[in-house]
Amino acid sequence: MSGNGERFPRGQAAIAGIGCTEFSKDSGVSTFALATRAIRAAVADAGLDIGDIDGLCTYGTADSVSPNVLAQALGIKSINYYLDQYLGGSVSMTIIGQAALAVSAGIADCVICYRAINGRSELRKNGAGAGPARAPWDIQFKMPSGYMVPAQEMAMNARAHMLRYGTQHEDLGRIAVLSRTNALDNDRAMMRKPITLDDYMESEWIAEPFHKLDCCLETDGAVAVVIVNAERAKDLPHRPVLIQGAAWGGGISIANNGFADLAESPARPIADRLFKAAGMTPKDIDFAEFYDCFTYPVLSQIEGYGFAEPGGVPDMLKDGHFDRATGTLPFNTHGGLLSEGYIHGMNHVYEAVQQIRGDAAHRQVKKHDVALVTGQLGYVSGYSSATILRGA
Amino acid sequence: MTSERLVKPMPDRDTVGYWQALADGQLVTSHCRDCGHWTWPPRPICSNCHGDNLALDAVAGTGEIYSWIVVHRSTTPDMMKYAPYTLALVRLDEQADIYIPGRLISDAPAYRGMRVRVAPERITEHLGDLAWKAEPASG
Repeated sequence: MSGNGERFPRGQAAIAGIGCTEFSKDSGVSTFALATRAIRAAVADAGLDIGDIDGLCTYGTADSVSPNVLAQALGIKSINYYLDQYLGGSVSMTIIGQAALAVSAGIADCVICYRAINGRSELRKNGAGAGPARAPWDIQFKMPSGYMVPAQEMAMNARAHMLRYGTQHEDLGRIAVLSRTNALDNDRAMMRKPITLDDYMESEWIAEPFHKLDCCLETDGAVAVVIVNAERAKDLPHRPVLIQGAAWGGGISIANNGFADLAESPARPIADRLFKAAGMTPKDIDFAEFYDCFTYPVLSQIEGYGFAEPGGVPDMLKDGHFDRATGTLPFNTHGGLLSEGYIHGMNHVYEAVQQIRGDAAHRQVKKHDVALVTGQLGYVSGYSSATILRGA
Repeated sequence: MTSERLVKPMPDRDTVGYWQALADGQLVTSHCRDCGHWTWPPRPICSNCHGDNLALDAVAGTGEIYSWIVVHRSTTPDMMKYAPYTLALVRLDEQADIYIPGRLISDAPAYRGMRVRVAPERITEHLGDLAWKAEPASG
């Protein structure tokens, strides 16, 4: 059988190095400079040199430095693999999966996956400031009507979930509070002031049912990771973090004909393929870094990736199921995009690798061998993406 | 009604007729002359039978609210003048898998199943947009 994930090169590529810049509201430098700093840090962390790089992968909304420009700057004369994937956070884990394919196939030996963004000081995702660098074709059917930004689109889907399952504002609020709690002891996090459920309920409306505290941050910064063959990773300084599985593709958006209810999770269409690729089930996951541009997508992913029955997440939140120190499925252990910062999802990979290595200090989860890391749910683009990482 | 928009449609060979029709006061979308399937947004291929015998035909312009949000913070001044405004996602009567968003014009709060009718809005001579207007409650 093809196309069901079973032929994914399971565990054949590994993340051997990670690097990041400071996460801030104003980096004061270009995305070009941010990318080079994160890449330099990641390569050093892997015990390699810039000269070892032969692949560069990134994604975004045409708002950052592209692989060919970086290759010129880094003095890479012939690059063996590159990817500049348009479409934002929904493809953030696509590039990890693509890099694993390239490395396991021997097309490239050392691929950097990076995301550099001046999401606050330059091109803001909410359309303010300079606005998106390039608009997807289907956006024209939403934006003129004032249906402008992801907050509104995700809130529309959250409403559909509330109508079908009785999900309450407080349920989303518990996700915001949990994320903030996890950020408190994270030196990288932009938001380290505690919040309560009352704070959440009193925070201003942005796009009802979303309060301000349902929304992630706008951040300047960069993250880069180094992906090499798993055999080579054994000889490098850190515990290899194997790319056990990955899947990307079909989501659920209003421009996709043929689905019944926007309350369904857009993670569903890729979840089976993901777990087949990894040879695992949801029970094998020790902790998760869920793409959390807003609170509701976290809830939808817990359902969609098979950790809860639809409508079952609110009780699990109340029961402490997801608490970092004591829960059975800690998630967003660094505070996520909601409280650490919005590096378009690549900071989730950074955190997952630190956790798997056992290097997460006060944030360290007890069971830390297998992580699920996800990209944005495919409401906007129609794509979702996710990877499962495993410590060797 | 003429209204200004900062974010404008991007008419191309597939969609210029769609935007022109809205400017002229009508909601149209791709309609397959072979299988009868409707496709929105208007596209050059039928999503059902994959044929290209398509025309931009008028729909009745009626439907019901499937989901909605209340926008308190918009990012462009032209929409902020409406804030807080309700954005409704409307399921078209012609076909249950077509959802079209638009600002809701209504004295009553939105609810699922609220009946609405399209209210085209002229942006420029060749570009239109749509809002949804609540139908008077029946019975």
